[in-house]
Amino acid sequence: MLTIVRIHNELLGTYGDRGNADVLAFRAHLNGIGTEVIDVAFREKLPETGDIYLMGGAEDAAQSLSLMALKEAGSLSRAVEHGATLLAICAGFQIIGESFTNGQGDVIAGLGLLEITTTPGKSRFVGDIKVASSILDCEFTGFENHGGATEIGSSVQPFGKVLVGHGNGYSQLDGAISGNVYGTYLHGPLLARNPEFADHLLSQVTNTEMKYSDDLANEYARWRRKVTK
Amino acid sequence: MPHRGLKRAVLIALFSGWASRTFAGKSGETISGRVLLALRPTAIAELAPGRTIFLVSGTNGKTSTTRFLKRIVEQVGSVATSQTGSNLNWGIASSLMQPDEYAVLEIDELHLPSILAQTNPKVVVLLNLTRDQLHRMHEVKRVADIWHEIADVADETIFVADIDDPYVNYAISTAKKVVRVSFGGRSHPDGAVCPKCGSYLSWKDGIYDSDCGLTNRVYDRILEAEDASDRNAALANIAGALIAAPYLEPAIGELERTITRDLNGVHADIRLTKNPASWTEALRGVTAKDVILILNSRQVDGIDTSWLFDVSFQILQGRKVVVTGERALDMQYRLRVEGITSELAADFEAAMSRFSAGDNVQVLSAYTAFFELSK
Repeated sequence: MLTIVRIHNELLGTYGDRGNADVLAFRAHLNGIGTEVIDVAFREKLPETGDIYLMGGAEDAAQSLSLMALKEAGSLSRAVEHGATLLAICAGFQIIGESFTNGQGDVIAGLGLLEITTTPGKSRFVGDIKVASSILDCEFTGFENHGGATEIGSSVQPFGKVLVGHGNGYSQLDGAISGNVYGTYLHGPLLARNPEFADHLLSQVTNTEMKYSDDLANEYARWRRKVTK
Repeated sequence: MPHRGLKRAVLIALFSGWASRTFAGKSGETISGRVLLALRPTAIAELAPGRTIFLVSGTNGKTSTTRFLKRIVEQVGSVATSQTGSNLNWGIASSLMQPDEYAVLEIDELHLPSILAQTNPKVVVLLNLTRDQLHRMHEVKRVADIWHEIADVADETIFVADIDDPYVNYAISTAKKVVRVSFGGRSHPDGAVCPKCGSYLSWKDGIYDSDCGLTNRVYDRILEAEDASDRNAALANIAGALIAAPYLEPAIGELERTITRDLNGVHADIRLTKNPASWTEALRGVTAKDVILILNSRQVDGIDTSWLFDVSFQILQGRKVVVTGERALDMQYRLRVEGITSELAADFEAAMSRFSAGDNVQVLSAYTAFFELSK
């Protein structure tokens, strides 16, 4: 039984990212793997025994609240230390970095799980995005909608190279990866649009290959890759 | 009209509208408004004085509420309004060329501050604020902030506000004249955080309390309502009462945007749906065993479809579902993840052909598709 933990969806759920957990559970089920999706709200205790943790996009105030709770509890950082997988999108991605600048212009220290820093971009980055994956031999598509520009340090590798859109801002790179921690700006939801990456996460956590090929998911992914230009 | 320049601009704009209607078969509303504002950028501010103006804004229900409020106000005098629901600057300019005593105008959320400043309305009705067209609005809080800025300084305007929506309540929290309306509370899909102070809102049975004191426990009027249509009808009647217009009972379905189509004996009731809140509201009303969903992603539909995963489609379980539209695949895959099987069709006509004569199909349609079907 795989435990998928959706963190603070009422705060980090502005852009449909809750679907990432649904897609993981769905694809695991197609491969005969049982899952439990646990929704952990802002005031609830975050379990440390999850296999995959998911964070999504948020507005400014919600992002700060979520970070505050995660810092206080410390449990997400401990879970990642113990080998859990974390996928953090957009505001969630910024939260798990070294620091980001909030709506009032204050620099806020993040969880420090990825060596990245985020500062306000010159203008907001909104639109379809396509990246060449740095870990799988395919392209990923999604939709980005954020004001932050992110710089990545030498201890992380990018999530992808930007083909269409902006990603981290001005470097032609999107996201960051370090070990089992993944950050990116791709909404969509990411795992609905990119079944290969969903399977990559599931394979990594279960140490087994995902063999089920879902025709509709493949067709959907192919079509988005073709039209995102 | 005091200014000859304005008068000339209006005449030319009226002519261009007439020409567009006569020779191009269009409504003529947008073109005449555009021409007027091009010739006379200050036209809205110049045409507004001397009449009583009502503005209606919010994420969902603007058009139907505006139409209903127009009927209410018409009981006491003649009313200028947009014929087509055009709610941007040129639509407003075009509407104000009508020489009526009253004007009832639907206003796009982001255009509300500018139109309010130019028209000095007697009443502004604020319905709700939820996620919509985020590629354009960016964040719900951003829209609430710009509403708050203008409500704070519009001292002569009376705001009729549904304060069960915390964003609306925050927007009018420092306004001078307000009718705060509560319907006894309801949940809000994007209401986890206080828009005023950024603290975590405490919710119980639709009643919210914030650290800063923002709450829907304190109201001027409390009413009962079954759904969004009921709420908007009540808000329109409260607005009308401010000019002593008699209470008007809405016709059944008057505050929903629906049309019907019949094709080869198949009957379709088509309802407009545009964002997570309106899809959720519309899905609640699905009772037919046959359903068509149409999803597009042009500008007014919202170009990002990620929100599909924020809507529960469980009510469609066990029904025959056909999906179509430019983003039908997004919809079909979203349904699949929720365990709902659907068929894909190339367009509305093809979708209708999947049903048999005598079938009654409920159709939920994205904004742009709805307008094409309305023609």
